[in-house]
Amino acid sequence: MTTVAPSGGTRERTSLAAGIGAVPPERAGARPTGRPRRFGGRFRILVAAAVTLVFVAPIYLMLVNAFKSQDDILANPITPPWPPTLENVTQALTRPDNLIPLGLRNSLIVAVVSVALLVPLGSAFSFYISRRRGRTKAAILVAFAAGLMIPPQVTLLPTIKILTWIGLDHTYPGLILSNLGGGYLSFAVFVYVGFMRSVPDEIIQAARLDGASGLRVWWQIVMPLVRPATATVVIFLTLWIWNDFLNPLFILGPLQGQTITTGLYLTIGQYSVDYGQLFGIMFLAGILPVLGYLTVQKQFVAGLTSGASK
Amino acid sequence: MIRKPLLAACAAGLLALTAACSGGGGAGGEGDETALTYLVFETPSLTAKFWDDSIAAAQAEVPGAKINKIVAPSTDRDAYAKQLQQSGQFPDLLQSITPSNFVGAGLLKPYDKTWIDANFLLPSANTLKGEVYIPPTNSQIVPQVYYNKELFTKAGITAAPKNWAEFLDACAKLKASGVTPIELGGADPFAASMPLVGIVSADILGKNKNWLQDRYADKVKFADANVVTAVQKYRTLVGNGYFDKGALGVKYADSITRFTGGKSAMYPMGSWFLGSVPKENADNFGSFPWPTDDGSVVVPFVGGGSMAISAKAEDSAMAENFGRAWSLNPANLKALIETDGAFPMIKGKTLDDYGVTVSQVFKDSYAYVGQDNNKVNAIGWATNDDALPPGLNDAFYASAQALFSGDDVAGEMKKLDEAWKTATQ
Amino acid sequence: MPGTRRRRRETPDRGLALLAALALGLYLVFLVLPLLLSLRSSFTNENPLRATNDFVGLRNYTEMVGDEQLRASLKVTLLLAFGVTIAANAIGVGFAILLNRTNLSYRVMRTVAFLPQVLSGVIVGFVWQTILTQNGVLNTALLKIGVLDEPYPWLGSPNAALFSIGVVVAWVLSGFTTVVYLAALQSIPLELHDMASLDGVRGTQRFRMVTWPMIAPGTTISVTISLITVLKLYDIIAVLTAGGPANSTQSTALYIVKLAFTSDRVGYASAVAMLLLALSALVALTVTGALRRREVSL
Repeated sequence: MTTVAPSGGTRERTSLAAGIGAVPPERAGARPTGRPRRFGGRFRILVAAAVTLVFVAPIYLMLVNAFKSQDDILANPITPPWPPTLENVTQALTRPDNLIPLGLRNSLIVAVVSVALLVPLGSAFSFYISRRRGRTKAAILVAFAAGLMIPPQVTLLPTIKILTWIGLDHTYPGLILSNLGGGYLSFAVFVYVGFMRSVPDEIIQAARLDGASGLRVWWQIVMPLVRPATATVVIFLTLWIWNDFLNPLFILGPLQGQTITTGLYLTIGQYSVDYGQLFGIMFLAGILPVLGYLTVQKQFVAGLTSGASK
Repeated sequence: MIRKPLLAACAAGLLALTAACSGGGGAGGEGDETALTYLVFETPSLTAKFWDDSIAAAQAEVPGAKINKIVAPSTDRDAYAKQLQQSGQFPDLLQSITPSNFVGAGLLKPYDKTWIDANFLLPSANTLKGEVYIPPTNSQIVPQVYYNKELFTKAGITAAPKNWAEFLDACAKLKASGVTPIELGGADPFAASMPLVGIVSADILGKNKNWLQDRYADKVKFADANVVTAVQKYRTLVGNGYFDKGALGVKYADSITRFTGGKSAMYPMGSWFLGSVPKENADNFGSFPWPTDDGSVVVPFVGGGSMAISAKAEDSAMAENFGRAWSLNPANLKALIETDGAFPMIKGKTLDDYGVTVSQVFKDSYAYVGQDNNKVNAIGWATNDDALPPGLNDAFYASAQALFSGDDVAGEMKKLDEAWKTATQ
Repeated sequence: MPGTRRRRRETPDRGLALLAALALGLYLVFLVLPLLLSLRSSFTNENPLRATNDFVGLRNYTEMVGDEQLRASLKVTLLLAFGVTIAANAIGVGFAILLNRTNLSYRVMRTVAFLPQVLSGVIVGFVWQTILTQNGVLNTALLKIGVLDEPYPWLGSPNAALFSIGVVVAWVLSGFTTVVYLAALQSIPLELHDMASLDGVRGTQRFRMVTWPMIAPGTTISVTISLITVLKLYDIIAVLTAGGPANSTQSTALYIVKLAFTSDRVGYASAVAMLLLALSALVALTVTGALRRREVSL
């Protein structure tokens, strides 16, 4: 019991996945509704609400101050924005350098294209490798897992050198390429391999006997089966790439325009006293990921929890 | 087959992407224009509009030049210039950088010296190994001590302190009157170091102008007894509670508003602070040089200036022309004087020639530039031969912050010597 | 199901192999190769601004032994990594148990709890700066209700600044840990709780005997991710304190960036980067290994 028995560990983890697969409400049968209550519902919800409030207080600040004037922010940053002013937001949107609209566009391009390419690459590789066995496979998987641990500062400068060699330094394709090959791919592979293990072998063999190519089996049979994994990968990678800071700052550089995150960083130095402006820009930079999260939040939690099985 | 559409989609995606992105690039010029990249930095007084206007004005004098402005993320444009250099995007023109950081790798091109000599009051103010990389268009004193006259009167202080003893006395009286004697924007490292810059410049450089050259030659050290004794003065100020206890949490921008708002009585800061003196009660503010023991005047002087030129610029002649046009444009100087407290250094021009309206405290402070006094190169700020080795500024700032909360002066000075050794070996 | 591992070796066709090879190639070119280049650079005195790039053998590595700033940065990094991991996981477990209910209000709170994780470190850093700075929201509030007589330097004294950063990072990570623990809690079969109730096992005892062992896999994930995140942390610290005051919050990641871009010492920065990588691998593998073993034995 002291060693990490691979089969034992796998069993535990996949069973967790199975249990969590039941999270969405339509399969709420497994939910702990009938659990005996230790302390009263009203008291509990008060405590929970209090903790939640403490938790969201900083976000509340970001939200309300985006709609207050500089004077109101300085006078009392906690009060609700009444009457609200749209000036911070409109001013941020109409900056002469177009920082926000361009930044949002650039971030969107980078995130969408990177993720759209990472998903097929990561899943195809995971499918291919999970059908193999032996030392090479184990070594490759360990190498990929190690990729999760590499601090980006370690590979930043050499990556730029490599991009310069192939003539893609300070370009969007260059940034996207480095996204494809870096730790993000590690994460995708890590999540997919965990899921591919639980895809029943019989299904794949049956398809192969019907004469389907490996590519077809992967795309038409395996991919639909590992949809929760895809959800996890898409959601997390989109978030990470959207919020990425070092890579766009260095790889993209100033002349290609900013992503929303680097643009925000650049304005912080600039407006260190103009809080109204800053909160306006932060609101615009933060609102898209927050809205995106809220719309997919069901899959988000489901994806995340099944991701916990990796 | 499934394979084809998928691959085709990937390929199409990549192609579309490449096409979309190459459209927005800033590389190369169109038509007969030459594109130059120009690194600037923005502060509350040097706004985006100032840069855009000044670029447009200089551009008009240099036909065919197209300027792409790059804004540094903080006022530390040296660090950003290095980042850009290491990621292969060294700008063609770099505003107010420290040339000594970049000449080692041959990255900068000096200005023509006859032009420098012909146009500036102190042509050698920025000389580095015999060459001028930044036209000395203006100068600064870093630091001067600015003070609030009303708070001084309230505390029963009749005149600005002239020596260290009077300074300490003033601090004590101010503290007794219930105001913070000295403002410090300690959360921003450069601002945290201001009192220390004053002390070292006044007590060490004031007595030995060549101290920094001697330090390069290893003839003197930070750990020497005279430096330790001088820096101990900073501990005295801290220990007596003459700064706000939480000063290391105060941002530079906030320190300005705290001082101008009357929360503190004195503010040792670079002369650019003059641009932030509130117009409505400018007469309430005065300035005096950082005090020495014997009351002699030492002026920690910085030959500021405009932009350096990259040696790698595609058209370095055009880059130099742009640099010259920008440097001599009186409208730029006017804006710099009024908003950034710059002391103009262009030959044959008085303040009146720029058509500026400046406060009395500006005129009084500027007077120290024209007077025949003991000018030394402000430690950490000079960009000429007395500039610190790379990384030493940060070490100096860190020591200043460390000495705010700890009292191991000798230990911190030893650290500076070690940092010096690694930086220059 | 997962037990039937024996399978016939298929001949995977070329299309799939090609795609897999492409992925592997990208990984080699943009992760393994940079890592090797960085390793190579760690044996040189590479300094782009002095135009030097010579092999110096192990000199960078021997220099690290006596580097006080490095030692301080490692202390900061490890303190943060362990402190924040413990805090974020404790908060995560507690909050998850609190929110493990199905009514709408709890679902809303659960959604909201994850929000900090959605925002970029730059935004997080800035918002917290307005809270923690000398005349920030926190001091203003505490002064108003009379808890403090004078503003407390949350970011302005070395120890407080490190603590403040720990709180901010724990705040961010708690959103993540809460959701992971919620998922783990919901995977506990109801019968287990029923059995526990019948046996009269309640309160802390139930937590110790039923809940805690059952959420062990969640703990492994949550602790590992927390550790890795903090060991690499850059943006929140960069915005919040930039490593100050007096380098008291300078993590190793920040030190690397400073060495490379302020002191121009790319070679030495690479050597420190190698150390950070080795340290991250060591910590993550040891802790994950221990937790995995614990999962099995529980």
